[in-house]
Amino acid sequence: MVNGFIILFGLTMLYLAATSRIIAHIRLLIVQGVLLFLICCCGAEHMNLLNFAFLTVETLIFKSIVIPAFLYKVLKKTHSNRDVAANIPHFYCLFIASIILLVGFLISNYYVSSMKLISPIFFGVSVATIVISLWLITIKHKIISNVIEFITMENGIFLLSLSVAKEMPMLVNMGVLLDVFIAVYILGLFVNAINKEFKDLEVSNLSDLKDYEYND
Amino acid sequence: MINTILLFPIIACLLMFIIRNKTFDCFMVNAYAIVHSVITTLLALNIGRETSQPYFAVDNTNLIFLIVLSLVFLMVAFYNNGYVKTFEYPDRRIRNYSMMILIFVLAMTGTILSTDLGIAWVLVEATTLSSAYLIYFNKTKHAIEAAWKYVFICSIGIALAFVGIILLNISTGSVNTLNFAHLYRCASSFDHNWLTLAFVFMLFGFGAKMGLAPIHFWLPDAHSEAPSPISALLSATLLNSAFLVIVRVFKIMTLADCTGYARFMLFIMGFISLFVTAVFVYHIRNYKRMLAYSSIENMGILAIGTALGGFAYYAVILHLIGHSLAKASFFLTSGNVLELYGTKRIKSVSGLMKADGKTAWLWILSFLAICAFPTSVLFISEFIMIKTMILQGHYLLCVLFVLLLTIVLYGIGKVVLKMAFGDLSSDKEKLVNENKSKVSRIMYIPQFIMLIIVFTLGVYIPPFLNNIIKCAIAGF
Repeated sequence: MVNGFIILFGLTMLYLAATSRIIAHIRLLIVQGVLLFLICCCGAEHMNLLNFAFLTVETLIFKSIVIPAFLYKVLKKTHSNRDVAANIPHFYCLFIASIILLVGFLISNYYVSSMKLISPIFFGVSVATIVISLWLITIKHKIISNVIEFITMENGIFLLSLSVAKEMPMLVNMGVLLDVFIAVYILGLFVNAINKEFKDLEVSNLSDLKDYEYND
Repeated sequence: MINTILLFPIIACLLMFIIRNKTFDCFMVNAYAIVHSVITTLLALNIGRETSQPYFAVDNTNLIFLIVLSLVFLMVAFYNNGYVKTFEYPDRRIRNYSMMILIFVLAMTGTILSTDLGIAWVLVEATTLSSAYLIYFNKTKHAIEAAWKYVFICSIGIALAFVGIILLNISTGSVNTLNFAHLYRCASSFDHNWLTLAFVFMLFGFGAKMGLAPIHFWLPDAHSEAPSPISALLSATLLNSAFLVIVRVFKIMTLADCTGYARFMLFIMGFISLFVTAVFVYHIRNYKRMLAYSSIENMGILAIGTALGGFAYYAVILHLIGHSLAKASFFLTSGNVLELYGTKRIKSVSGLMKADGKTAWLWILSFLAICAFPTSVLFISEFIMIKTMILQGHYLLCVLFVLLLTIVLYGIGKVVLKMAFGDLSSDKEKLVNENKSKVSRIMYIPQFIMLIIVFTLGVYIPPFLNNIIKCAIAGF
């Protein structure tokens, strides 16, 4: 069962790579939050009640409701529905993301199978998610897209931390803190400051500071 | 003692929030700086080191980092008293500024004192949050850009460091702990492949925070857009805190017998940092950016020193002390220059000697200190590193090291001399005379004290400091 959820999680990354509508990306974050909750539920027998409650709040409320809600608010304010100016066409994006996912599976099966602590599927999907997210950050032009990809990367890291949750519950809680950190900076800097100062949320707006030119 | 140093800023912030008085806000920053330095002195004298709580402690390694933080913070707080008077912002904004300084220093102190990798990671994250506000303080378009890049790059770095921590946990097998002492004890049993992978992630993660190239992009923007006291704190203390975490992880690698790979990675990143600085510093247009690039160069030197090992560890600690003090002095003096001329553009600043002799001399002396001119302590540290390279047979690296340092020295020297000397046009003279009242006497003294220490340490290192440095070397 848990493997099914993890594979679904990996497939959401392919969908992220293949679409340009930002509202679809935000919905996808909700799906990822719910999938992470289900994965937590599958490993619930190894956790104490407090830890499980903490993770439920984190995955269901924080990841699936609070962060997407704030992003939706920003989207409504800025009317930036699509990240159309991506450097690479969607078909190639999908193709490259699929290759990364496949390589993630292959490498984890080859290297991780000897390890007792971590299952290859956990490791493969989370590493592929991190790599796909980092790659998408580099090709997208909207700041909101960059934030969404950062959150998907963080979800990948959270998935990786869940794989060692049995041995080190503290690591999972640290992953939760990373989420709180994102929320604070989305709220504080992104929603308020950048939104006020710039009309459209293009990354190119934030490339004024240069070494060889003086723009102050 | 340790509890006091960690609880004081929290209580101070609450009081500032309740009392809401500008004078009180400035007083609390000074009070924390004094309390911080008094407690650090007592801890250095081995008084009150015992603590009941398990996550924070003073050991041989972090003591020197704490002393440097304490001294720089004291000097910056002193300078800040004059600097705050130049602000034309509402009281509420200045209160937020003061509160964030306290939280920023608390987060750095916590990072330095933490005995657990997890806690250190959380506190490094906290430094990003608190300092992002300080970088964004002027609320200009450029400040937002700098803060955004800082938060985005550092948070990706922190996320990667977290992956490194998870991989470290996988490498430990059944040893489920992140406590440094425990990790050191069990390091020999760790799985080498996973540990090497973990080190790469942690080096990139914490290296982003330390300002090592090629993940340094936030640093020139953040340092140039932040208010000058904050630039001084960022460069002289924040980078050191991240370096300490790397040193701790490097120690695990050494004890696990994976040191060859760790040294290779540090060498690569160190030399890339030097190379990047040498390339960019030459054509730079903004003098605060130039100082930021100099920080990248010096962090590269620390990485190279750590990679060399042996006697170079002593040089690393000396370099850390010297760089922190000299760069803090340099950034604070750049604050004076900015107040006088109202611009960060190198082309628009000349004739500093005629405009304000004291600032000009501080500017030149800070340059001499940072470029390792004898008797600056950086001369000793760089000399030891070059000697170690020759003794270890790294002749080519030694030549490259000296060559890159010379290019950087030429790039910075050219700008500093052009700004200090040269003509002062009548328009500029009028502007400087109008702005001179903004630079109070208090904005010269801290730099002067720090420069005296840097130049004295080059000829005489007191025995107690020598002992502390020797003890710190054991932490590598």
